[in-house]
Amino acid sequence: MLAAGLTVALSPVAATSQSMTPMRGEVRSFTDAFAVRVFPGNPYNQRIRVEVHVYDQDFQPVAARITPSAFLLAGQASRPVLVVVPFDGANERKVRICTESIPFPSEQTQIRAQICGKFFGHRRF
Amino acid sequence: MKFFRAAMAASLLAACTGQTASAATGNVLFNGTITATCTITINSNGTMTVSSNLQSLSSHNAGGSAGSAQVDTTGGVSLSVDPVTTTTVPASDTTATTWTPTFATSGAQTIAETGTATALTVPGTSTVAVNLAGTKSGTNRFSAGNYQATVTLRCE
Repeated sequence: MLAAGLTVALSPVAATSQSMTPMRGEVRSFTDAFAVRVFPGNPYNQRIRVEVHVYDQDFQPVAARITPSAFLLAGQASRPVLVVVPFDGANERKVRICTESIPFPSEQTQIRAQICGKFFGHRRF
Repeated sequence: MKFFRAAMAASLLAACTGQTASAATGNVLFNGTITATCTITINSNGTMTVSSNLQSLSSHNAGGSAGSAQVDTTGGVSLSVDPVTTTTVPASDTTATTWTPTFATSGAQTIAETGTATALTVPGTSTVAVNLAGTKSGTNRFSAGNYQATVTLRCE
C-alpha cells in the first residue's frame, strides 16, 4: 500500500522538443553591452512553451535583456530572440544562452530539455 | 564591288575554317559551415518506485522506469543533467532526501550511465535514458504520498 502510494505515476506527455541556433558565437561590440540573436525552434507539431535564460560560466544567472524571454512557440516554428548582455565593466564576457522547454502546468513533466549555446563577447574601445 | 565583297567573305570564311572552338572552363567553389546543433525531444517521463526498506525512491527500483529522450546532434556538444532542485514531496515527509540524476545513451553514441557531463562527438540520433534516485539515510524513510521531481537534461 505504501509502495503504491509512493509510486510517482506520471502521465505520459506528448513529445516536446526544442532546438536553438546558433549554439556558438563570438561578438565584438563598441558599447558596454553585446547583443546576440538566437532562434529557438520547435520541430514538432504541437506548440510548446519556451523560456530563454542567460547564465555565466558557473551557471549563475546573468542580468541580460531578453526579448522575449518566455513565449509559446507553434509547431514547426522558430522565432528570433534578442539577447543583450552587459559587460559589467569587463572587456570580455562568456555567457551561456539557454532555451528551456517549460513543463505544461497540467502535466507532470519530469524531464526539462535545455539547449545552451556558448557566446563570447569582446569589448572594443 | 559585289565581287570584292564576296571575295572578302570567302577569305574570312576560309581563315576560320579548320580552327577549333576554344572552350573556357572555370571552377565554381561551394563552401558550407555546419556549426554545432542539438535538438532534444522528450519521449516519456520516468516513474520512481520505493524500495522494500523505504529508503530508496528510484526509477531503478522494481516497477520503476527511466525517462526517455532523443537527442539529434551534429556532434561537438556535451550532454549533462543538472542537480535536482525542483521537487514536490508529501507534507508528511520532513526528512532530507538526496536526489541523484543520471543518464545513459544508445544509438549514434553509447554512453554508460553517468551523472557527469559527457561529450557527444558522434553525429546522429541518440536515445537518452534518464534515471533519478532519491535516497534517505539513517532512520529516515519515504512516506506515503505523491513525489515529483524535475530533471533538467542539457545539451550545450
